[in-house]
Formats: sequence, C-alpha cells, structure tokens
Amino acid sequence: MERRVIVEAKGLTKKYGDRLAVDKLQLEVYQGECFGILGPNGAGKSTLMKMLYGSSALSAGELFISGLNTKANPREVKARIGVLPQDEGLDLEFTVRDNLLLYSRYHGIDANVAVSRIEDLLKLMRLEDSSEQYVGVLSGGLKRRLGIARALLNYPDLLLMDEPTTGLDPQARLWIWNFLKKVKSEMGTIIITTHYMEEAEQICDRVAIMNRGQILAIGNPREMIKEKIGSNVVEIQLAKHELQYYLTRLSSQGFQYQVIRDQVNVYLANSAQVQSVLSLVGNLQVTTRPSSLSDVFLKVAGHDLRDEPS
Amino acid sequence: MKSEQTRLPSFQSGIYQVWRRSFLLFRRFWLINVFWIVLEPLLVLLGIGYGLGSFIASMKGVSYLEFFFPALLCISSMMISFFEGAYGNFSKLTYQKLYSTMILTCVEPKQVVLGEILWAATKGTCSAITVGLIAAIFGHVDKLMFFPAIAVIFLSSFLFGALGMLVTSMVKNYDGIILPTSGLIVPMSLFCGTYFPLEQLPTLIKYLVYLFPLTHTVVLVRELFLNELGWVSGLTHLIVLLAMTYGLTRMAIHRIAQKLIQ
Repeated sequence: MERRVIVEAKGLTKKYGDRLAVDKLQLEVYQGECFGILGPNGAGKSTLMKMLYGSSALSAGELFISGLNTKANPREVKARIGVLPQDEGLDLEFTVRDNLLLYSRYHGIDANVAVSRIEDLLKLMRLEDSSEQYVGVLSGGLKRRLGIARALLNYPDLLLMDEPTTGLDPQARLWIWNFLKKVKSEMGTIIITTHYMEEAEQICDRVAIMNRGQILAIGNPREMIKEKIGSNVVEIQLAKHELQYYLTRLSSQGFQYQVIRDQVNVYLANSAQVQSVLSLVGNLQVTTRPSSLSDVFLKVAGHDLRDEPS
Repeated sequence: MKSEQTRLPSFQSGIYQVWRRSFLLFRRFWLINVFWIVLEPLLVLLGIGYGLGSFIASMKGVSYLEFFFPALLCISSMMISFFEGAYGNFSKLTYQKLYSTMILTCVEPKQVVLGEILWAATKGTCSAITVGLIAAIFGHVDKLMFFPAIAVIFLSSFLFGALGMLVTSMVKNYDGIILPTSGLIVPMSLFCGTYFPLEQLPTLIKYLVYLFPLTHTVVLVRELFLNELGWVSGLTHLIVLLAMTYGLTRMAIHRIAQKLIQ
C-alpha cells in the first residue's frame, strides 16, 4: 500500500548570507510515522525545522505539507501543524490555563470547544495541579509540557518538536520521552530533532542524520545500525605510536573501524567476531558493547576538528 | 477528514485576539495604568493649565487653559501610545519571543503588529477620553466637538503606536528607545504648537515643525475644540496624518515580519 506523504521537500535550500544552512534537501515524511532529525550543532536541523513550521523563508526549493505549498498557503498549513519551538515562548504574564486559552483563540478555536480541549490537555500533560500558576514560576519540565500541550491544541496532523528534551533534567527528559512513546501511535505524524541518539533509536520509526545542511543517511534506526555498523562495537584505547600497527592488522582481517582521537572503534557484523578482534589486539585495553545509533552518527557525520577539545 | 474542514479564523479576528491579550493584561493592572494614563495628564493640567496659565492673560485670543488643554490630550495620548508600542512590545519581540510563538498559529506577523498598534492606540485614546470627561465636568469641553476630536486623537495614537513598534523593531535593547524619545517625542511635545503657538518659533522652524505628526494632531484637535476648523485646512491635516500613519504602519509591519520570518 502506498503510504501518504505528509511532508515533501524538493531541493529545499536556506542561505544566510554566503552560508548554506540547508542545502538542496530532498525529504519525504509519511503519515503516521515518528521521524527524527539528528545531527551535530550547526548541522541545519533547527533551520530545517523552522522552514517546516514557517518561521524561516525558503531561499530555494519547494516544501509541501499535507499537499499544501507552504509558500502559497502558510495559514492553511499552520492550522494543520502543532509546534514546540526550541524557545517555548510561553506567555509569562498569564497562567498555565490562560496560556492555552490565549493560543486556542489565536488558532480560532471555538470557545466552548477550547474549554474542554484545554481540560483534556491539562490532564494528558499532567498539568492539572499547576493550571492556575503563572508560567514564570514553573520548572523547566513543566514549561516544556505546557509547550507540548499548546502544540496539541488544534488537533494537529503533524507535530513538530525542536529539541523537546534539551536543557531538561533527567527526570523531566524521561517523562517526555515516555510520554511520546506512549502516545505516538495516536498522535498522527511527529517530526522531532534531538541530540539524544538512544532515545531517537527507541522512539523514531525513521531518522535522518544531517550534517552541513545535507541529509547523509536516512532510514529505520535499527536497520541503519545493522547495515552500517553491525551488531557490536569493540573500542580499543591506543597510544599514537601504536595506532598504525594495529590498524594494519585490523584491515588485513577485513574489519571496519573508525579512529576517534586515541580510540579505535571496530565494527562487528556479529558478536562471534569479538573473539577474533581480541586475539588481534592482544592485551590492550578494550571495551565491547552493542552498536548504537551514535556509531552510525559518528560514521556518517564523521568526527570533525570542531569536535576536538582545544 | 477533520483537517480538510478546518475553517481559518478571519483576518480581523487575529488582530482582535492580539489586541485582547493586551487588554486582559491591562485589566489586571488597571490601577497602575490609571495613574499613568489619567492622573499624570491631570497633574500637568493642574500645574501648567491652572498654575502657570493663571499668569497668562490670553493666548491667541483664548484663555491659556483653553489653548493648552487640547494640546495636553494630544501630548499625553502620543506619549502613552508611543511608549506602549516601544517599551511595551520590545520584550515580547525579543526576550520573551512571544511574537515568534504567536505566529506558529493562524496569526500572521501583520496581524500581530496591527493588533499591538491597535492596542497602543486604544490606550492613548482611553487616556484622552477619561481626561476629557473629567475636564468636561469643569466645563472645559465642547460636548459636540469632543467626538471628532477623539477620532483625531485615535488616529494620532495609532500613528504613534506604529512609530513605537517601528522603534522596537530597530533597537537592540531598552536603552535604544531613549534616543527617539529624547530626540523626537519630547521635542514634539514641546514645540509642535503645544505649550505656545507656532508663530513664536523662528521662521524656518515654524515650517519645519509641519514635518512632525504631532503638529497636525494639535492643529486639528485645538481647532475642533475652539470651533475654528475650516474644511480645507481640516482635510489637509487629516490627509497628512493618514498618510504618515499608513507609511509608519507599513514600515513597522515590514520590519517586524522580517524579524519573525527570517
């Protein structure tokens, strides 16, 4: 069955002066999927997100959401999407409930419908006890939850969340991830940007890894790990002068690896290969662990100079 | 499908909802606002109009109080609308990122700007209405001319609200608002035929002041109150005010929209 495309980007480009933040990007996101956009800082994730929710004008290319051209029908598109921006931009002068009430009016939601919708959302986001509090006194986690409730006010077909867990303490972060895991099947389509690979791996049906304004890899996270890395990774700590010797030994046995400063990560198709790596490196310090999306990320996005401590 | 049936709210309703947010906030702090928008102009009326005015036999053929009172309404509504547009909105645009969030809904940058200017104009006009009503009790207001005068003050307040919004879109921090305040708003309040007639000014400046909007507001409002306004002069000043309002509003919309959608 052909899946319905909800986001379609063709040659999407964003230039800030001479700098290309998003570079001729092609992307299709299907209805009902949870789609993750991963990448280092400055990769263009947030710019792409801003283009999706209409706060960044396209320098070139075309973008369709629910079949609507975002350039020609910005308001129609905004009626169909819910957005959690990186800065929540909550209205500090008003209470939690009034924030939702104000935004329901901006959406043009009928007053009676809004009242019951707001009650539902306060319950869903566990904000009932804080509903009469002013936003300024809320903790970071509660603010983010209010931001999500606000994004859901208009029953969006597409929920866009730009780094929904960045800057939160571990409990608050966990709350949001668990929430998303629980509700994602009922929420239509979700697009999320994040730094947290493990969580993206668990929650996203597909992820795109971005760097320098381009998508370097796209697909189901588990399949991507299997295809690009394998099942296990052996991390070997090496001194600089030993490096070349061991790399030659690993290559001669046909192992794939990546060097990150003084560490070599060896990618293994299956756990049975662990023993042969161990016998190759003798009594060096090694760590064996299951492969993860972080490995894919490092492999496709590379390990740049900018990531080196100076 | 649900979303296919979604009806977009009208253009005016977006403007109204932005206006309404400011109104709700105003209602909560109304007492503080009353001090600013009503008591302050009344104190000026007492100090300058009655106090200083009692030493002045007449100005342009009327008592000083009659001369000064219409200008007072123009000055205070200008100050209130300008400050509301500038100081009132700067943090919403920058630190709070409130406008950036508002436009994630069906509200567009244009509606945000128009709603905020409309609110600034409302506040300035409210001040003039309240002060005017209080003055009416003491018999200083021609009841029939009060209404067209208030209409002119509303237009002028809209203009200065737009100017405030334009300033907000240009400055980097609150200190940046000081320059247009001291360099434009305060001089206008002193020299645009407010405290003394334009005829007192040196020839060159006498004509130069017509470049500034408050001059036109003061001429219109004063001549309405004194029943001296002719059609030709009235329409000319009105057209100038309308053109300035249109220009400033367009510029404010353009600049804020550029800030919100980069």
